[in-house]
Amino acid sequence: MPDEFTTLVTALKSLTQTENGSEITLPVAEDEWYTRPDVVSYGIVSLDFEADALRGDNVKQTTSYEGSVDLFSLVKSGAGWVELITQTLTEYCGGSWNLNSHMYERETSLFHWEWTFEVSG
Amino acid sequence: MAFELKADGLSEVSELLGKMEDRAPAVAGKALYDGAGIMAAELSKSAESIKTAPFKYAGNGNTRLPSPEEKEIVMAAGTGIAKFDKNGAEVNTSVGYRNAGYADLNGKKKPIPLIVNSINSGTSFMQKQPFVRKAANSGGKKSIEAMKKVIETEFEAMSKK
Repeated sequence: MPDEFTTLVTALKSLTQTENGSEITLPVAEDEWYTRPDVVSYGIVSLDFEADALRGDNVKQTTSYEGSVDLFSLVKSGAGWVELITQTLTEYCGGSWNLNSHMYERETSLFHWEWTFEVSG
Repeated sequence: MAFELKADGLSEVSELLGKMEDRAPAVAGKALYDGAGIMAAELSKSAESIKTAPFKYAGNGNTRLPSPEEKEIVMAAGTGIAKFDKNGAEVNTSVGYRNAGYADLNGKKKPIPLIVNSINSGTSFMQKQPFVRKAANSGGKKSIEAMKKVIETEFEAMSKK
């Protein structure tokens, strides 16, 4: 795992905000939830594939990986997590991230945001 | 995209530039067709790598992988190139699935684009497998190279006439 990805995962897993006077942490899984958490909002972060590589002297000098962050929330605005996730992505990935899709699941009433990002390692 | 053209004298340069202006939409269309073909092939190839597991309802908060039937629907939908949208020398197209209709899944009609999107982006009950993004990433460079080659060949032939 690239170090840049590991630090991003740690940062996403420690996202907190105050709600009704108590501090709540966003439940974030690396890769997938096999059993979804029974909460208002939760996230998934994964490293999806190798996006590019810079080769030289018969070795890969630098490799960049594409990954994604998914946020599922029962609240249309994302309950404040959207802003916190985008701030974290800017802090750890600079400008190499974008909102790939924003969907609504009718069966579960969940709003789904999907951001993609690139990290090097 | 940079390429080289040889001309003797200003009159020939002017003649060549005139020809290029006239031929640009046709050359762009030909190049785009080749490039889009590579992207469509990459998309088909990438869909083959979708991991599946026998279908089970994702109840009790469990998530699941796509079923072999869902993968089969995606594979059978077939990739294709949309009709070219020409605006002067600018030519645009899209690569996607040819069959954007409905498919039978467990006795119900389901929209094919929804199945593709669920597998690619994941849902709260299906584990994501970003095969479209992967295809766009791996096919992008090959596609650009192929288009560049067509443009170079076409303009080189033009300068020899």
